[in-house]
Amino acid sequence: MNPSGSLFRHFGLVIIAMIMTLPFLWMVGTSIKPHHEVESLSLLPSSPHPENYAIVLRQSPDPYTGKLLDLDFPKWYFNSFFIAGWVTFLQVLTSACAAYAFARLEWPGRDRVFVLYLGTMMVPGMVTMLPAYQIMVSLGMVNTYQGLIIPSAFSAFGTFLLRQFMIGIPRSFDEAASIDGANHLQTFIEVILPMSRPGVIALSIFTFLGNFQSFVWPLVMVRDDHLRTIPVGMLSFQGLYGQQTELIMAATVLNVIPLIILFVVMQKQLISGIQLGGVKG
Amino acid sequence: MIQPVQRRNLGIALLFLAPNLIGFLLFTLGPILISLGGSFTSWSLKPSVPLRFVGLQNYVDLLSDPNFYFYLYNTVYLLTGLPISIAGSLALAVLLSSRLNLQTSRAALILSLTAALGSLPVSGILMISGSGSTAFLVLALGVITSLGLYFNSIGYRTFYYLPHFTAGASTILLWMQLYNPSFGLINQSLLALCEFLGIPFSPPGWLTSTRSLLGFLPLPAHFNNGGFGVGAREAIMIMTIWASVGGNNMILYLAGISNIPPELYEAADIDGASGWQRFRHITFPQLAPTTFFIVVMGVISGLQGGFEQAKLMTEGGPAGTTTTLSYYIYTQGFELLDLGYGAAVSWVLFLLMMGITLLNWRYGNRHQNQ
Repeated sequence: MNPSGSLFRHFGLVIIAMIMTLPFLWMVGTSIKPHHEVESLSLLPSSPHPENYAIVLRQSPDPYTGKLLDLDFPKWYFNSFFIAGWVTFLQVLTSACAAYAFARLEWPGRDRVFVLYLGTMMVPGMVTMLPAYQIMVSLGMVNTYQGLIIPSAFSAFGTFLLRQFMIGIPRSFDEAASIDGANHLQTFIEVILPMSRPGVIALSIFTFLGNFQSFVWPLVMVRDDHLRTIPVGMLSFQGLYGQQTELIMAATVLNVIPLIILFVVMQKQLISGIQLGGVKG
Repeated sequence: MIQPVQRRNLGIALLFLAPNLIGFLLFTLGPILISLGGSFTSWSLKPSVPLRFVGLQNYVDLLSDPNFYFYLYNTVYLLTGLPISIAGSLALAVLLSSRLNLQTSRAALILSLTAALGSLPVSGILMISGSGSTAFLVLALGVITSLGLYFNSIGYRTFYYLPHFTAGASTILLWMQLYNPSFGLINQSLLALCEFLGIPFSPPGWLTSTRSLLGFLPLPAHFNNGGFGVGAREAIMIMTIWASVGGNNMILYLAGISNIPPELYEAADIDGASGWQRFRHITFPQLAPTTFFIVVMGVISGLQGGFEQAKLMTEGGPAGTTTTLSYYIYTQGFELLDLGYGAAVSWVLFLLMMGITLLNWRYGNRHQNQ
């Protein structure tokens, strides 16, 4: 293979990577521009203006009104991590338990219940959204943290993904555990769960990311600013400060940074998780 | 016949299943049944409307609702970006799977360091001479080239996957700024380019325009057709392609390509096959199951899509041209408070999804068996 051919391919790949990255470069550049330079074609300001970040994080006042922003971005930031963290923990826990029942135990009616789970995965989220909202109204959970966390703590998809993982573990492990006198809870925690680690990690990443970025449910569930997460918060940001592009871009950078870190750190597990879900799903 | 072991297991299984099953019944199966039942009633959040059974009335209304067809058209039109996106994912995966290693790892390291260290002084000089933007671009180019030369496909994959991984409300607002007709980066760049080339050019209005590439068709008047051109729907399509071309589909294709038996290519080499022939007769047919999966999943999510874009960027406009069925369901339910009608629309959407999936299944499986 001649090296010039592979250098040529590198050239093409670099160009595509530049196109994919350009919106992010513009985002970073605009986030440190003073307001009067936002409309210039230049990617960078004549002198950097990192105060935009202090304004978004409510550390310094908005220069136009002379007071702090009316929107509590730092609180949204906390909410997004808090809610996505709880949802991930609960969803992985309930999915793993249910997956154990579906994959490792034999009980009458198991396959029919599992097919029911699978069937609901085909139903679009918009179908369940209106009644789910009504159920939350009657449970008194609208506009609360519980309302944002509890409905997402259960997932047919998560159950399905982990069940596929657990079903591949040889039976002999359960039998060995049972000979050693382990009950089902011990077998689950000490044998099956550790062996499903890659599946659990992949589901955790999917769930965290999906919830961190989720938009529709928090949009209908939350009325008060102090309960907002970043995605719905961005909608009110756009509504109130839509003219101040530099502030919106600073907020966007702050939203994207934890995701980039998560991706770079978890890249390997994430990629194998996608391939797992895709090949088996 | 239920054996005693199975019966004893039932209790244990229920204990393991209970937390999930309660949530499943309350937040998934329950709402599905309520929604189905509610679509046959006058279910409304308006206190003036009493709840009563109306039979198929919502569905009859829907089938004679001109807006429904308009929004269905928008939804399907936005889906036409899917083949472009999938072809792009496949092309990227093929390119990333091709031989990228330079002759020796030492050569790769040296070239990589050259790119990284070379871009620094160049961008420094540009910065001092006052063109900060170019300096920024050169620096980015240096970093990407250096990572790509050293890490090969994993390095590039990271950059291609990032738009997908970060996709959400924030990146939608980012694109909204890029699309600004007067000072957005896209139109400013287009204008600068055309001025440089000496071509007279009036840039598209993007999110403010009702034009579309199918605008030359004789569409019904209430489709608010703005004529042939590039408008809000194309803007959303381009953004979606940017966010998805290097995403999960590319990752699945990469996995699919790595599973193709190398003997097939060896045999093709002996026969003297060209690069295109290798792709046409080995790579593409071998990837048929992956393509099938990607198309099915893409259609399912595409038919449900367009909500965030409509809510954040356009409020479904201009003139309803970016209103998709999912945004219509939302506005019917949460803005017009007509839950019964919204539920009926969502069930028609479900039937459409099922129908297309079954068609895909039949056609796709036949294709795979050949």
